[in-house]
Amino acid sequence: MERKSFLRTFAVAAAAGPLLIEACKKDSTSTQTDSTTTTTTSTNGTTCTTTPTETEGPYPYVGGEITNPLNRADVTGGQTGVPLAVNFLVVNVNDNCNVVTGARVDIWHCNKDGYYSGYANQPGLLGSKSYVGETWLRGYLLTDSSGLAKFTTIYPGWYGGRATHIHMEVFVNSVLKKVSQLTFSETISDAVHVSTLYATHGVNPIRNANDSVFGDSATDLALETLALTGSVSAGYSGTFTLGVAL
Amino acid sequence: MALIKLAYKQIIDASAQGKFERSVLQASYQEFLLKMQTYNPNREFKTFTALKVHDGRANSLHYKLSFAVGHFIQTLDNKIPGLSDNLGNPVKFEIPQFELIESHINDISSHKVAITYTTGILTLVNQLAEFMVLAEGDVSEKFVADTFILKMQQGLSITSYQEYQPESLFKDTFQQV
Repeated sequence: MERKSFLRTFAVAAAAGPLLIEACKKDSTSTQTDSTTTTTTSTNGTTCTTTPTETEGPYPYVGGEITNPLNRADVTGGQTGVPLAVNFLVVNVNDNCNVVTGARVDIWHCNKDGYYSGYANQPGLLGSKSYVGETWLRGYLLTDSSGLAKFTTIYPGWYGGRATHIHMEVFVNSVLKKVSQLTFSETISDAVHVSTLYATHGVNPIRNANDSVFGDSATDLALETLALTGSVSAGYSGTFTLGVAL
Repeated sequence: MALIKLAYKQIIDASAQGKFERSVLQASYQEFLLKMQTYNPNREFKTFTALKVHDGRANSLHYKLSFAVGHFIQTLDNKIPGLSDNLGNPVKFEIPQFELIESHINDISSHKVAITYTTGILTLVNQLAEFMVLAEGDVSEKFVADTFILKMQQGLSITSYQEYQPESLFKDTFQQV
């Protein structure tokens, strides 16, 4: 929304609402709370109503009309690769696995050639690369009423020394609750990594079980492996359950 | 004559007034509060400086915060804020680099960041005292070029310098060897 338009809308709403700034004198006859709508009549006969509390909106971006550009479902940002749809289901392990709504799920991963956006002087397949100022393959979403954050991206490539992976973080009420990574079935990763767009790089020599992150626990590896359906030509999709203890 | 790149460092702190600066300050601080938790799970460390001493990985906050302000930088349309030539025209940048200077988990007034804007290649045609006669791109082989004049000032630096050597000089030297 344009700022002018936003301000115009606000002005109209303010004019239409029952805002009586003259009221709420200290001699009011009843109290009010922030969470409920309470109408108070003062001893001098004027009335006032507690203004309903609403979400702060699209902040932290001052100006209000700009949404954080990283708040996006499609994080592809022009990068080419095999399409990948990943749904994250956030559940509370301390509450009968009930879904957590409004949790912020951040993800980021490398492109088909093994480079990250935003970083300078990265060694890799295509030599040293700098992608400062770029944000592709990064983003965050708030989980919906079903506890889901649904991202569209591409299948990650790989870089030396690491298994193929996606990073994620989960914040609940702005508190960091989980930092983790997920990987994939090597059968699928290998098929993707020899397909046309990835073929220059080929199969990742670091297998999941030998990886410095995933390899320390077979149990953890199983929990961190995203099951996918699909194909190289059609793309892949899957749902990853993120359990957090709240 | 030389081919150069300039860098201009803009410091943004609680005194910021402009919409761009306020946006960068606010967005980067909110992101700091979120992302610092990875290195500070118990909120034991209050400042970015203390956090870095405790865990060197906290240096990745420079990058992590930069992602949250990238969109604002795009709105600059590659014009360096606060830097203009002697006619008041903006100077264009190619690469912005974000830096978290300091912050405090309980106090946005301690939050201080910098953005260093680096230009593309400029031709330094001449220098007149503290003034640089510049042209966009490499015009070293041209007889006529559009130029502008920029004053050397606080926060501005030359970060790349290549002395111009005429092609003919290269050939002569090569033939002699």
